[in-house]
Formats: sequence, structure tokens, C-alpha cells
Amino acid sequence: MSARTLSALQEYDDGEVPAEGISDLAALLVYVGIPALLFLVIAVLVLAPSMARGPRYRPGLGWWAAPVWFNGPDDADSAVRHATATAEGGGASARW
Amino acid sequence: MAPVPAGEAFSERQNDDIVRAIRLARQQSDLPVSVYVGTLEGDPRDLAMVLHGALGAAAEQSVLVAVDPGARRLEIVTGKGVRRRLDDRSAGLAAMAMTSAFQGGDLSGGIASGILSLAEHAHTPRSLHTGTR
Repeated sequence: MSARTLSALQEYDDGEVPAEGISDLAALLVYVGIPALLFLVIAVLVLAPSMARGPRYRPGLGWWAAPVWFNGPDDADSAVRHATATAEGGGASARW
Repeated sequence: MAPVPAGEAFSERQNDDIVRAIRLARQQSDLPVSVYVGTLEGDPRDLAMVLHGALGAAAEQSVLVAVDPGARRLEIVTGKGVRRRLDDRSAGLAAMAMTSAFQGGDLSGGIASGILSLAEHAHTPRSLHTGTR
């Protein structure tokens, strides 16, 4: 390659205005910071609904919560302690 | 592994669903339903009977739905008085509706639809000519 063509390569095209290069910090911000931020935003959007709903019941993975009794006796503990089991009751049993 | 209570069993919305179903059962069919969700240690059926007995004077006319999500057991106990209008076959149908929802992980939805199923079967249309309600 001759010296003439090499110098021609380094010249700018018509209308091309060279700008100063961006600093390392700015490069890091644009190429790492923004993608990371985007990643975080998407992750939050995906996880937020299930986190808002709280832990979900999954059969076979056990049960974690304290017992709840809807429409039960006011003082459940003593009521159960003094209760006599229903003898002539009916009903059904099931497993899943 | 001992179950360690951590957090609420149901979210506020799920709570409301169950409470609404219980209220509907009482309004539409005059059927008091009590729902227990927790571990049934020992023999689940026996414990469910004790829980039903703990409802006190109202027990005879009440239905208890006991759900053990950990052991995957469901017990429906009907009192002596309520058994006349809610036979065991109807209770079995409600149990099936519940367990199929539980299998999909929908605990509150299964309980609510099961209660409504119980209420529907216990519904006695008002007769207009006998003078009794």
C-alpha cells in the first residue's frame, strides 16, 4: 500500500464532522448501565404480580401457614379442648 | 419436617372470596358453613369430627369443611340435623368439586365453589301451600 492511498483513507468524507470520543465512564453507562437497567425493569415487571399475590399453594410442597378457621367458634382453642366429637354426623372425605 | 407457620394462608382477596361464599350459603340456603384450613393431625376424620363438635350448639345444623393442604386431605362433616337436607352423596359431589380445584393449586377458589355447591344441594324451595318454611 503506497503512502498516498494511506493518507487518503484518513481523510474525512464531505460533510463528516469528527467528534470527541466519549469517556470511559460514559461508555460504561451507555453500554452496561442502560442494558442492566432495562434488564431490571423487565425482571420487576415479570416478578411483581406473583410477589404481590404472595406465596401460592402448590400440592405436594407442604403447607406453611398457621391454621385459619372461618366462621368458627370465638375461642377456638378452648372450644376444641372441651368439644365432644360429633357422633351421628355425615359428610364426605376426599384426597387429592 | 414440622410445619412452621410463616405468613398468612390467604390473601385479602382470597379471604373475601371464602367469606362471601359462606355468607351466600347462609342467605340462600340457610346453611351455616364453617371452614377450617390447617393441619389435621392424627386421624383426619376423627379430628374433623372434634372440630365440628367444637361448633357447640350450632353444630347439629352446621357443616364443617376441614382442609389439610399439606396432607392433601379434605373432610366434610355434616351435623345430624343438616344431614336430612344435605345427604352424603351431595357432600361427596362438593368434595369432588373442591379437590379438582385443589389439584390445580387453587385453594380458596376450590373452597368457595365447594361451599356454593353444598349450598345449592341444601337448598329447599319454599313451599307455598304447607304453611311451613
